[in-house]
Amino acid sequence: MNPFPFISNFQGDFVLQLVLADMTSTMDEVAANAAYHSVGRRVVAQPGKDIRVRKAGNEDFFPRTMKVDQSGLKAMDCLEILFVDPE
Amino acid sequence: MTVMDRSEWYDIARDTNWSPSFVREQEMFPPQMTGGFGLAREKWVGYDEPYKTSYPEYVRIQREKDAAAYSVKAALERNKLFETADAGWLSILKQHYGAIALGEYAAMSAEARMARFGLASGMRNMATFGMMDENRHTQLQLYFPHEHCNKDRQFDWAHKAYHTNEWAAIAARHTFDDLFLSRDATSIAVMLTFAFETGFTNMQFLGLAADAAEVGDYTFSSLISSIQTDESRHAQIGGPALQILVESGKKEEAEKLVYIGIARAWRLFSVLTGPAMDYYTPLSHRKQSFKEFMLEWIVGQFERSLIELGLDLPWYWEKMIAEFEYQHHAYHLGVWFWRPTVWWNPAAGMSPDDRDWLEEKYPGWNDTFGKCWDVIIDNVLAGRHEKTLPETLPIVCNMSQLPICAIPGNGWNVKDYPKEFEGRTYHFNSEIDRWIFETDPARYRGHMTIVDRLLAGHIQPPDLSGALKYMNLSPGECGDDAHKFAWAEAYRANPYAKKAA
Repeated sequence: MNPFPFISNFQGDFVLQLVLADMTSTMDEVAANAAYHSVGRRVVAQPGKDIRVRKAGNEDFFPRTMKVDQSGLKAMDCLEILFVDPE
Repeated sequence: MTVMDRSEWYDIARDTNWSPSFVREQEMFPPQMTGGFGLAREKWVGYDEPYKTSYPEYVRIQREKDAAAYSVKAALERNKLFETADAGWLSILKQHYGAIALGEYAAMSAEARMARFGLASGMRNMATFGMMDENRHTQLQLYFPHEHCNKDRQFDWAHKAYHTNEWAAIAARHTFDDLFLSRDATSIAVMLTFAFETGFTNMQFLGLAADAAEVGDYTFSSLISSIQTDESRHAQIGGPALQILVESGKKEEAEKLVYIGIARAWRLFSVLTGPAMDYYTPLSHRKQSFKEFMLEWIVGQFERSLIELGLDLPWYWEKMIAEFEYQHHAYHLGVWFWRPTVWWNPAAGMSPDDRDWLEEKYPGWNDTFGKCWDVIIDNVLAGRHEKTLPETLPIVCNMSQLPICAIPGNGWNVKDYPKEFEGRTYHFNSEIDRWIFETDPARYRGHMTIVDRLLAGHIQPPDLSGALKYMNLSPGECGDDAHKFAWAEAYRANPYAKKAA
């Protein structure tokens, strides 16, 4: 277990939050961890959409299966988590 | 015995600017305590305080003010306000006392610094009275809530808040440490009395006194009015100091202090007064929205004071005005959602009528903040109480120590404003907060936010229960919804439909 704390900026939510994942988590797992603290609490679920992760300020999302330790991210980086149409 | 008129002796009596012969000037007025950007003491001879008083006059008037405030309290102690007032109003009282009472005590130290190290006689004289003012305000605002402590432990936070690591207390301490506890006398005159008091507290106290009278809390109204009359006097210490600085070619340095002061005051004002005015005050008693209040009192009046003193408006003025539309809504949502972490019970202010009012005052509110509240309301009605509570911490700004937050829903614009400094990444709520840091990174770099403390292992266990323990919030003190979710019942049969424009 090698924790990866990050800042979640979840689409539609009003606040940045501290969220934990693991350095071996995939981006889908990172997205799920972020969604846990926003969707169903202050953000309405969007069934049928994917939830994707990108570094704040970037246009491109990380590949869904990419692991944190392959991504170049470091602890407490700010990530944007967005709903997107499935590819 | 004939007593001379004050105007005949005041200028001579208050002029204590003798030349020291036993110590050096620098020892009597060390620059790190006096400030003033290197201006010689002679430059300050022209300091002319607009409000003049003598000690006997001061004592007589203050005695009368105290007698009036305490008499109203004594006369109304049996009026059962505690039992009959709206829960939202009680929350305003608890929030106010906790956030303000010991802040006043800190301000007393700041006034004392001006009283001793101010470079102008007039400043030292005024600040001596200001110091006694702040002591009076502390005593009043500790004594008045004390009668409620045996009925509601949250009132005990009037005294307790500043002695804890509760997040709002950290934010208030960080702000006040920056604005006046760790500044020199000249900077205090500018940042505390001009930027903070003239700009904000004086206005807040005026607004609060009117609100209190409107809801029938005459005890609080008379207390706040009593304090406000002091504030409006000693807040005048800063204006003449700014005049001297501007006339002596220190305009840019003075402006920087004013701009930092306004920006920091705005953050505290928006997290405390914004929710109080737009959400906690019962709808039937709301006279104007927080935005209207800010535009009238801050933009309208304070802007004029800046211009009259020959100062330019802050570079961020338009950005700050834009925040009037949303920042306090975001703070309110945050305080309500993280409600166990505050010492008052946040009133949601979320009935259908409240929402209509918010939409009218802040067009687009339902499509933005309303989207988050829709989810919360669904959870309340479905009994999913756990989903209306947090399981993590918000990221807080390295300057304001308040959550980094902005507009949700269809207007989503939440953003981090990071800054790398000496290998550490700092996170800010806006360009304005980041700019304050950039003015003097060495001053601010060491501070750890509540999130930094969690990550450093100071909070154990690292969850909500550990956080509450770290913040000294005991059962019976943690906040909950002020109206026990009664407001949500209106939506059970009729889901909210935005009123047609």
